[in-house]
Amino acid sequence: MSIQVTSPVSRAFKARETGLIVIIATIFVVMSFASEYFMTAENLLSMVKSFSVEAIVVIGMTILLISGGIDLSVGSVTALAMVIAGSLFLAGLDPWLSSLIAIMACSGIGAVMGLMVTGIGLHHFIVSLGVMVIARGLCMLGTGGRPLGLFTLPLEFKWIGTGSIGPIPVVIVIFVVFVLVFDFLLRQTTAFRKVVYTGSNQKAAAYSGVRTQKVIFLTTMLTSTLCGIAGVIYMARFGSAQPTFGIGMELNVIAAAVIGGASLSGGSGTILGAILGSLLLAVVSSSLTLLNVSVYWQDIIRGSILLTAVTFDHLLMKRRG
Amino acid sequence: MEFNKRRSLIALAIAGLVGLSGAASAQSKLACKPGETYVMNVMVSAHPYWVPVFQGFKQAAEALGCKAVFSGTPDYDIAKQIASFEQDLVKKPAGVLLHPMQADPFINPINAAIDSGIAVTTFAADSPKSKRTAYVTSDNLAEAKFAAEEIVKKVGDSSQYAVLENPGQSNHDLRVTALIAYMDKNYPKMKLVGRQATNQDSNAAYQAVTTMLQANPKLAALWIPEAGSAEGAVAAVKEAGKKIIIIHADVTPATLSEIKAGNIHMALNPNQGVQGFLGFMNTFLAAHQDLIDPFNDYKVSRFNPMQFPSMDNGFAVITKDNADSFDLAKYMKGRS
Repeated sequence: MSIQVTSPVSRAFKARETGLIVIIATIFVVMSFASEYFMTAENLLSMVKSFSVEAIVVIGMTILLISGGIDLSVGSVTALAMVIAGSLFLAGLDPWLSSLIAIMACSGIGAVMGLMVTGIGLHHFIVSLGVMVIARGLCMLGTGGRPLGLFTLPLEFKWIGTGSIGPIPVVIVIFVVFVLVFDFLLRQTTAFRKVVYTGSNQKAAAYSGVRTQKVIFLTTMLTSTLCGIAGVIYMARFGSAQPTFGIGMELNVIAAAVIGGASLSGGSGTILGAILGSLLLAVVSSSLTLLNVSVYWQDIIRGSILLTAVTFDHLLMKRRG
Repeated sequence: MEFNKRRSLIALAIAGLVGLSGAASAQSKLACKPGETYVMNVMVSAHPYWVPVFQGFKQAAEALGCKAVFSGTPDYDIAKQIASFEQDLVKKPAGVLLHPMQADPFINPINAAIDSGIAVTTFAADSPKSKRTAYVTSDNLAEAKFAAEEIVKKVGDSSQYAVLENPGQSNHDLRVTALIAYMDKNYPKMKLVGRQATNQDSNAAYQAVTTMLQANPKLAALWIPEAGSAEGAVAAVKEAGKKIIIIHADVTPATLSEIKAGNIHMALNPNQGVQGFLGFMNTFLAAHQDLIDPFNDYKVSRFNPMQFPSMDNGFAVITKDNADSFDLAKYMKGRS
């Protein structure tokens, strides 16, 4: 029997994150020559700002994918959080309290989904598909299909969406905090390691004493809760609550997580990888805009990157047996 | 056929006069500096509506030696449109002609752009609480009134009618609510029997109209505030073998074919080329605000004197008789 010892350096080279960092760095180098605007602070901030709130949802989706689940309702639930918080604010409630209630409502939705998956045994895919439609319907019902104008939100609330700390937009600061916290939790804590065990092999994890049903329930609830938080930040950023917000968001979010190394069959993925996936998509989008490439190329290239990542993942899995 | 021609001409004349007066005092300023760029930013960028608008925009830009860029997002997604707008600003254009998907979310981005010295004007949809200097659109109230009168002319003043709608988009909302209000006030015997949100989705419109026809066999007319839903609605009406007067706003190649075939009664189409032309002129003037020294307080109050709060580009009525003039493929032959 031979034991393979891998050094940290060799592990780093094998990690998906390293590959993504190399690709992103290459684009940065090429683009810094191709466009005088690319390496400006304004463009870099604009790029990160464009995905920073959605990245909070990416974090939830990544953890859920690692546990073996998936959530198609993220866009609708994010919109519902905006609508609930916006409606309560317009009804006279304090915006912070309205937001808290909206986030709790989203947690409740996650809990119901989690119960349907773990209690009844339905698949995440179909449960979240149903919730996606219901949540969108609730958005339309609550608003009559029209956006809620929330221009009167107090400045201190809008600050979380539009303010800056020095030159750095608050949304980027929030995003970085979320990434650091969840990356640490997933890498370093026993509770979150159980998510990986559950996703890798649910039966084996259960035999090892992991309460896999509880893990699935909590990760489902966490994803919806993060959607609620993102919805509230979006509301502060846009000064409105739109019932049609987030249509198609699930595709972006899943794409970012998968490009970053999260496996659709569960058991693998990292927060850093998923964020690098989001960053790669944003960098590609920004580069094409700065080069005045037709906007339609962006979808084609984004789809191609996703297919490449999934193919790479599949081949890697096959090689590992 | 042209409507609101007088107001459009007034708007054009204002633009022309401003240009001429500038020409008299500082002729060199009436042209762009080398590389001076203007961007037209939209959502759902594949929609054929933008093509003639951008042509008007580009033709005006070329006439003044400026560079015109088409930009935006292919999606109906506010976050993506704002991201594309902010990305445009990074390139430091002289100005942006914007079709804001929704009013309030664009207030801060527009204000930030203007504060950084980039002129922003809007067209076809507005962000009135922002600092944008101008807004070009067709008169949605006039369109609704015209459509209402045409419906009554064709089906009488005591029939059933229905509307499809796209809630949330201000110009579409106005076209619908104005027509209903006009009918209620002037033709109280006209009965609104259906009102469905189909959100520019032809399939949703097909399903909605199919159901409406089942529920209301005497339905005589349909008013649709945009062309995407009209494509689905006409398919449903044809399948049901009914004779319904369909009038919609805007036009697509598909609805144009249906107008030619007599399946859609008419379309009320904003003068897109004029909209793009006036949009460019407004943006250019906002970026060249020193062309004139008007009699007001702009110097002490520090605002851009090139303010055109609402400019009407007028609308055309497309029927079977003049449909050939609105063939986009023919128009675009030899153009890029």
